[in-house]
Parts: sequence; structure tokens; C-alpha cells
Amino acid sequence: MKVKVDKTLAASIALHVLVIGWGLVSFSTRAFVMPEEDTVDVDVISSDQLSHAMAGQKDGKKENPKPLVEKVADAKPVDDAVGKIDDKKAPVVTETAPPPTPKVEEKPEKKPDPPKKVENKPKEEPKPVEKKPDPVKPDPIAEAIKKEEKKPPPKPVQQAAKPPPEQKPKERVFDESKIAALLDKRDPTRASITGATLNSNAALGTAKGKSADNSATWGAMFRQQVERCWKNKPYGSLEEQRTQVVIDIDLKRDGTLARMPVPETTPSTPYMRVYQESALRAIIACQPYNLPAGWFDEWKAFAPVFKENNT
Amino acid sequence: MTDKIDWCATRIRLDRRQMISGIAAFSALAGAPFRQAFGQEGGRKQIPIPGGDFAPVPIAIPNFAAGTPGDAEVGVGVTQVITNNLKRSGLFAPIDQSAYLEKTVNIDAAPNFNNWKSINAQALVTGRMTRQGNGRVKAEFRLWDVNTGQQLAGQQYDTSAEYWRRIAHIISDQIYERMTGEKGYFDTRVVFVDESGSAQHRVKRLALMDQDGANVRYLTRGADLVLTPRFSPSTQEITYMEFGQGDPRVYLLNIETGQREIVGNFPGMSFSPRFSPDGQRIIMSLQQGGNSNLFVMDLRSKAMTRLTDTPAIDTSPSYAPDGSQLCFESDRGGKPQIYVMPATGGQAQRISFGDGTYSTPVWSPRGDYIAFTKQGGGQFAIGIMKTDGSGERILTSGFHNEGPTFAPNGRVVMFFRDPGGNSGPSLFTVDVSGRNELRVPTPGFASDPAWSPLLS
Repeated sequence: MKVKVDKTLAASIALHVLVIGWGLVSFSTRAFVMPEEDTVDVDVISSDQLSHAMAGQKDGKKENPKPLVEKVADAKPVDDAVGKIDDKKAPVVTETAPPPTPKVEEKPEKKPDPPKKVENKPKEEPKPVEKKPDPVKPDPIAEAIKKEEKKPPPKPVQQAAKPPPEQKPKERVFDESKIAALLDKRDPTRASITGATLNSNAALGTAKGKSADNSATWGAMFRQQVERCWKNKPYGSLEEQRTQVVIDIDLKRDGTLARMPVPETTPSTPYMRVYQESALRAIIACQPYNLPAGWFDEWKAFAPVFKENNT
Repeated sequence: MTDKIDWCATRIRLDRRQMISGIAAFSALAGAPFRQAFGQEGGRKQIPIPGGDFAPVPIAIPNFAAGTPGDAEVGVGVTQVITNNLKRSGLFAPIDQSAYLEKTVNIDAAPNFNNWKSINAQALVTGRMTRQGNGRVKAEFRLWDVNTGQQLAGQQYDTSAEYWRRIAHIISDQIYERMTGEKGYFDTRVVFVDESGSAQHRVKRLALMDQDGANVRYLTRGADLVLTPRFSPSTQEITYMEFGQGDPRVYLLNIETGQREIVGNFPGMSFSPRFSPDGQRIIMSLQQGGNSNLFVMDLRSKAMTRLTDTPAIDTSPSYAPDGSQLCFESDRGGKPQIYVMPATGGQAQRISFGDGTYSTPVWSPRGDYIAFTKQGGGQFAIGIMKTDGSGERILTSGFHNEGPTFAPNGRVVMFFRDPGGNSGPSLFTVDVSGRNELRVPTPGFASDPAWSPLLS
């Protein structure tokens, strides 16, 4: 009797064999190789260490004498480089509230921000012209402002200059609850700092300041590596609490020692001597050190401080 | 001196670096002001390396060379004693001799350090034993740092041939001291109570041995029960308590001459004696009715001074190493606790406040700890605490542990342990950190150990 073969079953088997066979061949021919990556040492640092690494250095040497320049033009230094740059028009510093002597007491309320730099909108061309010729004398300006008052546009000046025309100084009462309304709520703006050549490096701090110092990173990498070898420090001594050893080391680019490490102090006790020797042994035994090449200038010469955890 | 030179070199190089960067042309001599003027710029960045770890120092000790053909045996013996000492300290890991690439090393030349680096040795000991014409033997040794190639120590000794073990102990102490920064304790002896016979008819004899268990000598014949032997700081005398025909009495025994005397002549028991740090006085307890108080006796004038006067049992006194204070056990508060008071008597301060009772306090020769036996919860533990009672640390605990005594450097505590049953007690040592508990070999059962000061 002839065995009846289910054609669909046969087809299914054939198909499976094909697919699996193809899979075996095609997958196996391509070895699954992970691209080799350099290991990156990751170190968890405390907030203290972070703030240390990020801290600026006030007494750092001024390395960059060139002032910050944002735009090439005639040099026009800006005292305080704070605020948004608004170069639509050079900022005009108005003498807000021309100083009529009787109103001295009231000034603070009107000028909560004494060095107010008011920026005029393009519309107000006439005003600076009127003002500038004779900004010292209060009266002409007051009159000019009176005239301007009837025209609505120049808001800031209006606000600042309003009091003089009204000439009712005694009616004005300082209302503490409305002090917010008197404040200038515009963002402070300033002109670009101009100079002969562009220089985007703000001159506060230097590249050698702590802010640019990456020792938290390469220092941690060094520590991890040297600690592997620092296994034979003495322990249990009475002097343990105050033990600290500083050793000057010079490294070559390949991470090996350029010379024998040199302790910064001569040990005062046998225990300190042994402690120092254990640190020296660790430094020598653990080379070469794998440190980031980009920071070679920093780590080519430094001084690890070997100390107890509790100090 | 080399430090000085290297230090100057550092400055010169720093100057050059600064000059290249066009800052200023300082002369090499201007190093110091330069460094000050620029603060961090001139100095090196300091990277803190906190911690580190402890692991025994791998040390290679090839057999000491023989100066004459007949000295090979003693050379091997000295090497074995040193190896054993250092290994038992727990601070060294002597490398097995079969791993050595060189079997013997010439002491007169600098070793080939690469051969020792390759087996991961950090220190290397080379030495030689030479028999002299007069029957004495000369021992020489050098200790090398394999990584830096520097000689750390080197000595030679001359002694009569039978004291070769002591030479080995002295060399061990030198190595220990140079590698750990603390005094060694190998050239010491231990007096203990040797126990033999059945549990019902135990014979107790005073015995003396080297700290490693060698050279056991018996000091008493075992007719009477002896307890609590204590070494004099002068190492020639032992004080102990013996049950003779009448009450237990405190005795003084010269271990060189064998001469023995009763300390004082009092009615009632006298017990738990101990020497003062200068060896001139013995402090002990005297029974007074149902109580006992502390007395100190000047060994020369035989004058007795009372230190405590309480309706309680004051016992187990032990002096601080400077002799200014003493600690003792007292049940004046209800149950036995440890108290500290001035050595001249006066107000006593209780320092033990944990659960259970505290007894047999011993002040460390280093001055930092007081060791004690703590009883509680059916267990006897050996522990240490700081001299103000803080930082209590139990070193070992079990069915019965008792009688701590410090090694002269204060780093190791010896005590005896009785596992119970038909067995008997034996001696153990443990580091004050609680690590490295080791049994001390004794010929039979042993209890009540007392460690001598360094012999040399």
C-alpha cells in the first residue's frame, strides 16, 4: 500500500529545512563580533568633589589678556557684560527724572534701579536729539517731555518723565503695595562688546583655573589604578589616624614613570617610613597608568596624597 | 640626601617649563620664591588616594648560605624559624621556596631583583651563617625591597652556637620592625601553666617557652597548684600564685637561678599579682574577710601600700605602661566590671558598661587598649576596649576563653581556650584587629599564659 504523503506537510518541512538551513549558514558565516571599545573608567564623585572641580579660581593668573569681543567694530568697552545684546540701536542712557531739587525724597520710588539704561525705540528719534544738546538743564527737557506727553508712543520715557509735567510733588504718595508697578520689568539689554578681533573667551578665570581642571576625572582614574597595588600598607598603628604621605610623580605619555617617585617629606617615624614605602611600592608596581591622553599636560607631573580613609 | 637632590631637580624642571611658556626668566636659584609667588601654578596638583588595603607582604626568604660546609643545617634552621615567625604574624606571606628561581643568594652582592619580581616577592631576605674558630657562630642578613632595589636593613650578630634560634628571632624582629614600622615580638618568651593528667587529677606546672612554642622548660614540679604567672619587665623574674599547704600565696621566682620566695607574709589569701612597669613593685589582692582589696608592695623595702578600701572584691590589677594609672576588676557595682584609677589610689572610674561581666583586665604595653575576659550568655569572650571604655571589640568568643596577655608591641593578644568536655585548654594568639587567630603549640594542655617583654 502506498503511503500517502501530505503534500502540505512535505512542503512545510521542506520550507522549514530551507529557512533553518539558510539561517544556520548565513548567521554562522558572520561571526557576531562586538566592536572593541576602550574601557572608560567611571567614578562616582561626591558633590564636594564636583564643586571643587567646577570652582573658579579668583586668584588665578590672568592668562588671557584679550578682552571679550563679540562684534568687530571700534572698540567700545562695556562695563558690565550682563543682559541680552540688543544692537538695533546704541543704548542711550537717559538721565531719567531730571533732577529738580525739591523732589529729592521721591527719587527712590521712581528710580528703584539707579543705573537704569533705557533703550529708545526707533520711533523716538527726536527725543534724544532734544535731550542731548542740553541734558543738564532740567527745564527745557521738562517742557519737551510735556510736549511729547501728548504723543503716546515713547513709553519708558513717559513713565520716567511723567512727574515733572504734573508738578504735583506733594500729592504723590509712596505706596508700598504698588512698588511692583514702578519697577522696570524689561530685560536688561546692552550693546555688543566690540573690538578689533573677535574673542569669545570671557576673560574671567583662566584655562588653568580649577574650572578647566579635569583632575576629578583623571585623578579618579589614577586612584583606581594605584589602589589596586596599594595592598601592603601597615595597619593598626597608633599613628594611623594622622598618616598622610605626599609623593611627587612624573609620568611619561605612555603612563610609565619618567623617574623614581619622590616623597615630599622625609618620614619622622618608622611607621611613617613604612607607610611611605608602601605607597612608593604601589606607584612603581602599578605602572603604566592608563590616563586620558588629552590631559597629559595636567598629569605628567602631580602629587598623589596617600592617606587613611578617616582623615 | 638623595631626596634633597631630587627635590632640587624638580624645581629646576618646573622653572624651565614656565620659561618656555614665556612667563618669566627665573633662574634655577629662584625656585622657592617662584613657587610661593604662583601658588598652585608652581606646586603640583595633589590627588588624594584614601584607603588602600591590607594584605600580607609577599616575602622571599631563601635558605641562609653556609659560610663553611658544616653550617648548612643551621642556615636552613634559621630560615625556617624566620619564615614561621613572619608567617604566624599574619602580616607576611612567605613565598614557598619551591617557587624560587634562585635557591641560594649571595649576601655580598645585590640580588638579581628580576628573579624575585617574577615570583611577586615584595621583600627579599638574604643571609649567611658562619661558624667561627671559637665555637661561636656569626649570622649576617640583609633585607631588600624588591621593587625599588633598596636595602632596607642589614645586620650581623655573633653568638654561641646553641642560641641560633634566638638569632633567628632577633632577625625576625628586625624584618618585622622594618616592614611594619612597629617593634617586633619574636624574641620573647611565654610563661604558662602546663596541665597534664586526667581532668580529676590535673597536674599543673609552671612552664616557660619561646613565643613560638620551642624550648619548653618546666619551672615547678607540679606538687602544688599554680595560677596566674606574670613576667617581670626585667624578664628574670616571674610572680605567680600558688596553693601550698595553707592559703594561696603570691610567690616570686627567679627563672635563671630557680630561687623562689613568698611575697610578703600576710594572714589570708594573696592573689592576682602583677609587676609595676619598672619592675620594682608588685601589685596584688589581699583577702580581708569576705572582701579583697588592692595593695602594692615595694620589692626592696617590702613596704605595703593599700590602694583600695571597699566592701567588695577588687582584684586583677594591671598598670598602664607609664605607671600612672591602673585598671582592675571589682564587683563594687554589683557584678564584676573594669575600673580605672590613679596608681596611687583614689577615685576609681568604671569603664565597662556592656552586657555581662568583665574580668581579668590587662593594660596593653602600647597603652592604647585594655584587654579583658567578658562573660555573658553562657559564653566567655576575649575582647579589647580603649582605656576610656569606648570602642569595645570582641576578638574571640566561645565556651571558655580567658586570661588575655599582650605581646610586648601591643599588637597581638595571647589567651587560653578550653573547648570543654574531657579535653583541656590550649593557648591561642589573635591580632588586636581580631584577625589571624592561631593555636600556639604546647606539649600538653596549657593555660594562663603571660608574655615576656622583648629579651633584647
